Amino acid sequence: MKFFSIAIKDLKELVRDRKGLFFIMLFPVFFMLVFGFAFGGMGESNTPHKLAIVNYDKPVTLPTTGESVNFGNNLTQLLEDAKYEDSDVHLFNVTKMSENEADELLKSRDIDAALIIPDNFSESVLALINHTIMTTTNPLAASESTPPDATSTLIIRGDTGFMNFGVSQSILVGVLAQYQDEIVIQTQNAVRGTPGTQPTVFLNSKVEPIEGTQNFTTFDFIAPGMIVFAILLLATAVAASLTREVETGTLARLKLSKMRGFDLLFGGLIPWSLVVVVQVIILLVVAVAIGFHWQGGINSLLWSLLVGVIGGIASIALGMIIAAFVQNDRQAVNLGTLITVPMSFLVGAFYPLPDVEILGVPFNAFLPWTHTVKALTSLLTYGGGWNEIAYPVVVSVILTVILFAIGVVVFSKNRLKAEN
Amino acid sequence: MADYIIETQDITREFDGFKAVDGLSLQIKKGEVFGFLGPNGAGKTTSINMMVGLLKPTSGQVIIDGQDMEKFDKAAIGVCPQEIVLWDNLTCQECFKLMGDMYEVPKDVLKQRIGKLLEDLFLTDKANVLVRNLSGGMKRRLNLALAVVHQPEIVLLDEPSEGLDPQSRRVLWEYIISLRDDEGKTVILTTHLMDEADRLSDRVAIIDHGKLLKLDTPENLKKEIGGGDIVEITLTDALMNGKVIGKLEEMENVLSVLEVEGIINLRALNAVGKLPKIMDGIEEVGARMADLSVRQNTLEDVFIDLTGTRLRE
Repeated sequence: MKFFSIAIKDLKELVRDRKGLFFIMLFPVFFMLVFGFAFGGMGESNTPHKLAIVNYDKPVTLPTTGESVNFGNNLTQLLEDAKYEDSDVHLFNVTKMSENEADELLKSRDIDAALIIPDNFSESVLALINHTIMTTTNPLAASESTPPDATSTLIIRGDTGFMNFGVSQSILVGVLAQYQDEIVIQTQNAVRGTPGTQPTVFLNSKVEPIEGTQNFTTFDFIAPGMIVFAILLLATAVAASLTREVETGTLARLKLSKMRGFDLLFGGLIPWSLVVVVQVIILLVVAVAIGFHWQGGINSLLWSLLVGVIGGIASIALGMIIAAFVQNDRQAVNLGTLITVPMSFLVGAFYPLPDVEILGVPFNAFLPWTHTVKALTSLLTYGGGWNEIAYPVVVSVILTVILFAIGVVVFSKNRLKAEN
Repeated sequence: MADYIIETQDITREFDGFKAVDGLSLQIKKGEVFGFLGPNGAGKTTSINMMVGLLKPTSGQVIIDGQDMEKFDKAAIGVCPQEIVLWDNLTCQECFKLMGDMYEVPKDVLKQRIGKLLEDLFLTDKANVLVRNLSGGMKRRLNLALAVVHQPEIVLLDEPSEGLDPQSRRVLWEYIISLRDDEGKTVILTTHLMDEADRLSDRVAIIDHGKLLKLDTPENLKKEIGGGDIVEITLTDALMNGKVIGKLEEMENVLSVLEVEGIINLRALNAVGKLPKIMDGIEEVGARMADLSVRQNTLEDVFIDLTGTRLRE
């Protein structure tokens, strides 16, 4: 039971090193808070999108009534009035401004998108109306005549790297297409004197949220990944702790005894696994406190602790591998950060990534934490149970066992054998 | 049972082409205190690291109690490293318990053993104090105690009194002697302190630049360079050292005169009685004396005799 004595020793050292423990626990909480506040409101339904409108449009005179109309203003009014379906919340928070002002605000991300209406917009709309009248009253003549060349281009401008622009742009494209359709239908109705029929619809689409996710924000999809990020960062702490044992000579002292590599490394698992359990609970509490919509009950928490411990063991194994190659704890921290931070992205801790293929092999699928993220998201975000997490858990257990075996072999070879 | 408990057979250790230990062959008897005397960087620690299996020799072999190093029971050796190697966030008691468990010492035996060690090394009232809160001397004593918690046959002490205050050093020396006399342990001691090697060792190996220069009892080593006292003379002008040495060598019953790091080192029988003649000789060549001291022959003088230099710090 030498491993148990090592576990007790490691636990006492961890707990008594208050500052170290504080940073291990606080650092991920800090990240969770930052991400929570940054993404907590993002993606939530019924939020007006900030839209700037730059209107260069020149009015045209309607041939039928002689009335002067600026369709650019008409479109602007329509966008100002547009509301979410079954809601009183406007789709857009519209501000009219110059193009330069709009560009400045786009750069500072104070607005989500800018719509630039060209000077010939009304002319194009008028051409569309005339063409519609002709095709409605005399389809034969219309088919023989060429449509007037009065195309205008509406520009939707924005920062393509800004998530809000992506959302605003897709809504705008839909609204503009609908605007054009409405002009055609209304013109047809006016010419015929009766309401025209809607075009026959064969394909329709409807956005339907998963049960319970109607109020989800981006943070709800990030929070489980943040827990995995914290678990991954443990590799750095474990590597630093093991390297300190080498640096201070205490490992040499243990090496001279009857302790085996397994005792040292397996003993180390116990306190670090407890750290993972505490971390998962703290991070979940913090996440819920700042707006994470935790699905599932106490069962999902218990499963999450198990999944977290498996991910934690993988991180401990990674820490052993790092500790096998560095000379001091500063190097351990540097190398650990260099490995764990990019790995957090690779495993999809911050947002889901497509498989990263290296020489045709999906590299991230071989990282146990990829499956930890999936399992925790299933449990905490979607309220899943064992059936939903069985596959990622089994895969992560297999990968963790392999990684731990590699860690034990590499660390024992480099640190526990007599120096060559 | 082998005649010697540790035998090194022509062991050499190289680091990137540098020979830290060069063909070291020696035999250590069971139950003796064996001193390794040499300056810092002489290869003492490298030698003992090879003896305990922390370091593989580049060539040569270490035999412990007639068996190859690899096959020998680890519990038979206890090592007190040169640096203080302790767990700062454990108490003295917890450190003992950890090392006892690592050596598979039965619980009841361990409890008694811990009590005795705490008492012997004057740490009983510090049993439940965290290591980080102990004084340097207390840490040194605990460092030593952890090496013997499993009652090993062979105890290796690497510069054990480095940085110790006189009181702690006395406690440590008494304990080392008791290990040999009361418990029959073999103690291997590395030191660069002559009086430590002189007082504690049954036999001393003088080592420098990785090579064994001499191995014998302290008395025999001192006898070998002859009896007499040592007179150390510092002149106001070191350039006059050569002339003065030439003059002093002409005197009767002077065993040797050497210049060591700018100081004239004269060994002679009844040196005190010769002091007036020595001073006359210095005046005759026109030199002036800045300092003079007389002391007994020590192991350092053996080292000076062997290498022509003092022990380097």
